[in-house]
Amino acid sequence: MPSPPVASRSAGAAAAAARRILHPSPLRPATRWATIKAATTTRTLTTSRHHLPASLSATTPTRTSSRPYHSYSHPPPPGPFTPIESLLLAAAYRHVPTHGFSPKALARGARDAGYLDISATIVPDGVFSLVQWHLVTQREALAARSAALSGDGQKGGGVASRVEALTWERLLGNAEVVGQWQEALAIMAQPSYVPASVKELAMLVDEIWFLAGDVAVDPTWYTKRASLSAIYAAAELFMTNDRSPGFHDTRDFLRRRLEEASEIGNLARSVREWLSFTTSASTNVLRSKGVQI
Amino acid sequence: MAVRPAQFRRALLQTPSRLRQQNTIQHSHPELQHLLSAASSPARLFSSTVTARALNTPDYAVPNPSRPTHFGFQTVTEAEKIERVATVFTSVAESYDRMNDLMSFGWHRIWKDHFVSSLNPGFSPLASGLDPRAPQHILDIAGGTGDIAFRMLHTAHIVNANPDVRVTISDINPAMLTVGKQRSTLLPASQQAALSFVEANAEDLTRTTPLSSPGTANPPTSAIPSASVDLYTVAFGIRNFSNIPAALREAYRVLKPGGVFACLEFSKADAHPLFNTLYKEWSFRAIPLIGQLVAGDRDSYQYLVESIEKFPSQADFRDMIIDAGFVVGGQGYEDLTGGVAAIHKGMKPRA
Repeated sequence: MPSPPVASRSAGAAAAAARRILHPSPLRPATRWATIKAATTTRTLTTSRHHLPASLSATTPTRTSSRPYHSYSHPPPPGPFTPIESLLLAAAYRHVPTHGFSPKALARGARDAGYLDISATIVPDGVFSLVQWHLVTQREALAARSAALSGDGQKGGGVASRVEALTWERLLGNAEVVGQWQEALAIMAQPSYVPASVKELAMLVDEIWFLAGDVAVDPTWYTKRASLSAIYAAAELFMTNDRSPGFHDTRDFLRRRLEEASEIGNLARSVREWLSFTTSASTNVLRSKGVQI
Repeated sequence: MAVRPAQFRRALLQTPSRLRQQNTIQHSHPELQHLLSAASSPARLFSSTVTARALNTPDYAVPNPSRPTHFGFQTVTEAEKIERVATVFTSVAESYDRMNDLMSFGWHRIWKDHFVSSLNPGFSPLASGLDPRAPQHILDIAGGTGDIAFRMLHTAHIVNANPDVRVTISDINPAMLTVGKQRSTLLPASQQAALSFVEANAEDLTRTTPLSSPGTANPPTSAIPSASVDLYTVAFGIRNFSNIPAALREAYRVLKPGGVFACLEFSKADAHPLFNTLYKEWSFRAIPLIGQLVAGDRDSYQYLVESIEKFPSQADFRDMIIDAGFVVGGQGYEDLTGGVAAIHKGMKPRA
């Protein structure tokens, strides 16, 4: 999978990314400090921030999932799949549209790859790994689609419209397996797989906001991600029952939800402004009456 | 890199003494070191097994009866360990299953069921009989009493409706195999027909002896051919082996490309300190006592808990599996009950 060349990004975006590194993230303090230091001292833009779906060069397997931030200064961590897993899952994924996210697809994939029926049992989480393969590859394909979107000249539309376009692109990534997607959601909802599924959703929405060019590091960092997570999950569920041509019902659904979210965001902002104005005004009135505050 | 050992062997045959002077090479490359020691006795160099092993097997993975290893917390030679493990299991064979239930509160059944269902033997995406790859041969090493083998047969024949699955139970200890054979008489006839019992050392599966009645003299020996097994399982057995790297390489040899090595074994629960403390108390205080009361054999159960303690951690054992040539998925293992036991899986890649 080709990674977008980092140098082509604007210097402003790079600086913004460096700021994003400073953003609070669930890292241990020492690690975070080291990251901050590296970001502020080196600022080398040599590595790509794009993580490969399966780092085929990885020799020792690691399940360390990708870190919760984007970095220009550090190489991407290895992907969640070992080379043999990538091979088996990629082969099995071709059978998903007909056989679903099932052991059958896994075994057929193993046969296609020239292995035995039993070979697919080394994939650690079985069918959930197959679902994860879909999630990870689709998330990582988003960077290329984002580049294509900017190429079409749609960049002028601002962050909100890019978020909508990217979310829609990601939803279209489910189109091929939409008949099996309810089954996949059921697998993801199994208690032992819920944490991994939620984490993957968080990484997806983070990717969307990043690719849309959002550089905010204030508390809206959280609210934006939370609201987009909810909207994306709802739209995905809506899509599984969408029979309209080209999924335009889903597209409308997505647009309505995003508009509502921005309305609520505007409302919240107005309320906050009114509160802060009223507070300072009443303080001043009280001070003019001689109250010591 | 692949050509170099061959070149070196040629060079060695010509001028062994000159090469042996190059100490740096000798110490930097274990394979060559092994070759050099082989070259010092020319007769051995031409024996096919020695050269084959010398070319691709590190020294530590070649069984050596006089090399020290551990037996519980004691240090013994590999040959001695084989004898002493034989004594332990001959003495516990009769009470083995009852003791397992008492020691693990019956939980070992859950582990074994999970182990077998995660391997799903006999599963085929096509109807059986349509494809030459549908039949499966499962080799259950250290499977004496048949716990794993019977579950495998049940899953394959009944759950997956694939009668083309046969299981070979192999154990170094005839006493354990005899218990398994007796238990197998309760199985349906079709499943009994798919079972075979052989006596073999897992470090060398080229010499296996079918389990025979005690009177038979000179039973025939046969080899488990290379690349003939779909699934190699070993449950709660591998920590008793004298030379684990050698056994892993033998597993690699008998497996088909794409075949799976699966191991269920006690492991480390270090990730949960409080639980680990309770577990260690139970192991070192209660289990030998239960052994004494129920089986009348404290020493064997003392060995059992010590051998669990000496067995490598999940990650170390995973690295040993990779070192033997297998590839793994994910982190290579799955913890059961917080790491008290773990399932390790590896696949033999295509050459």
